[in-house]
Amino acid sequence: MSEGVKLSIRLFIITAIAALALGITHAVTEEPIRLQNEQVSLEARKAVLPDAQEFVQVDLSEYKDEYPNVVEAYQGKSGDETVGYVFRVVSKGYGGDVELYVGIDANEDKIESVNIISHNETPGLGAKAAGLDFLSQYSGKPVDSPLTAVRGRATQDAQVEAITGATITSKAVTEGVNYAIELYGRVLKDGGAER
Amino acid sequence: MKAVKVFINGVLNENPTFRMVLGMCPTLALTTAAINGIGMGLATTFVLVGSNLVISLLKNFIPQKVRIPAFVVVIATFVTVVSMIMQAFLPELNKSLGIYIPLIVVNCIILARAESFASKNSALLSIIDGLGMGIGFTLALLLLGSIREILGAGTWFGMPVFSDGFSPAVIMILPPGGFITLGLVLGLLNKLTGRAE
Repeated sequence: MSEGVKLSIRLFIITAIAALALGITHAVTEEPIRLQNEQVSLEARKAVLPDAQEFVQVDLSEYKDEYPNVVEAYQGKSGDETVGYVFRVVSKGYGGDVELYVGIDANEDKIESVNIISHNETPGLGAKAAGLDFLSQYSGKPVDSPLTAVRGRATQDAQVEAITGATITSKAVTEGVNYAIELYGRVLKDGGAER
Repeated sequence: MKAVKVFINGVLNENPTFRMVLGMCPTLALTTAAINGIGMGLATTFVLVGSNLVISLLKNFIPQKVRIPAFVVVIATFVTVVSMIMQAFLPELNKSLGIYIPLIVVNCIILARAESFASKNSALLSIIDGLGMGIGFTLALLLLGSIREILGAGTWFGMPVFSDGFSPAVIMILPPGGFITLGLVLGLLNKLTGRAE
């Protein structure tokens, strides 16, 4: 047998064993990984709508074209009562996509809380948007009109204070929240005005 | 003793970051905070020990002429298996180290140690080499991360280190700050150890 063939066979054996190891690991871990991911996103939803005991996914397929930035929506329930909705929204920030969860209290028609789950913003500037100092501004805001991020002091109810040096990020987060409250107001409020 | 020498060698004499100048991509990208340095360092140590062990055990089976592709396959497989197991069964560890694991596949320290150490030495020594190199890498990243975090964000491990009047130099945690810090630290170390010509 020529040397080339020998080498090829050796290398083939190594890759075949590697593939087998990967295949077995994948088969064993697939289900636990899925459960883990589900657990993580359940906790993320709970974090923005703590009153809800369980979450039912809302079918958004008819609104996909109009609201491409709303990835998912969940109806948060406590027993039979609908306590609110959770939206997963993607917005364009300064360094790429900003992904956030927006929780809306359906009884009082106000924002419960907003949480950023992934972003690529500048450390020290835009990345501050993921901190509580900025995000807590959204809690308790009304959902009947879009919010705006303003420089300096917020003087009206529908305003939040932009982070100094990170206006684009602040606007991106606000826009993301606006997608959620707009969809909520049109489609889901009062048991669904349009439904 | 040889084992001690191998270990010290990885931490000091052949420190992967400051002496071999290997793995610069994760070094520059991740050292924006001290905690990142520790996370990446420990994840790398773990993979380095594992891959060194596997390569050392396989050293007689892997033909000299195709060793590099064989190493790459072994290392990539090992890292992927570790990452999947962590995601499935160690969610807490995965939360803190998980984001670094995929970056390790492209870290040349792993391949360098496979090539220059593990493929020529016993399994035990290879494990010790992995530990030494990994800890050397961790300490280097911790040092760079600390400098950049303290100057660029005014905090260390997230805790404020200056009074309110301090305005952090944001450039230090941006990419240019990575180059500046690495260059100055490398220069200083060369000066101190008399390596500069």
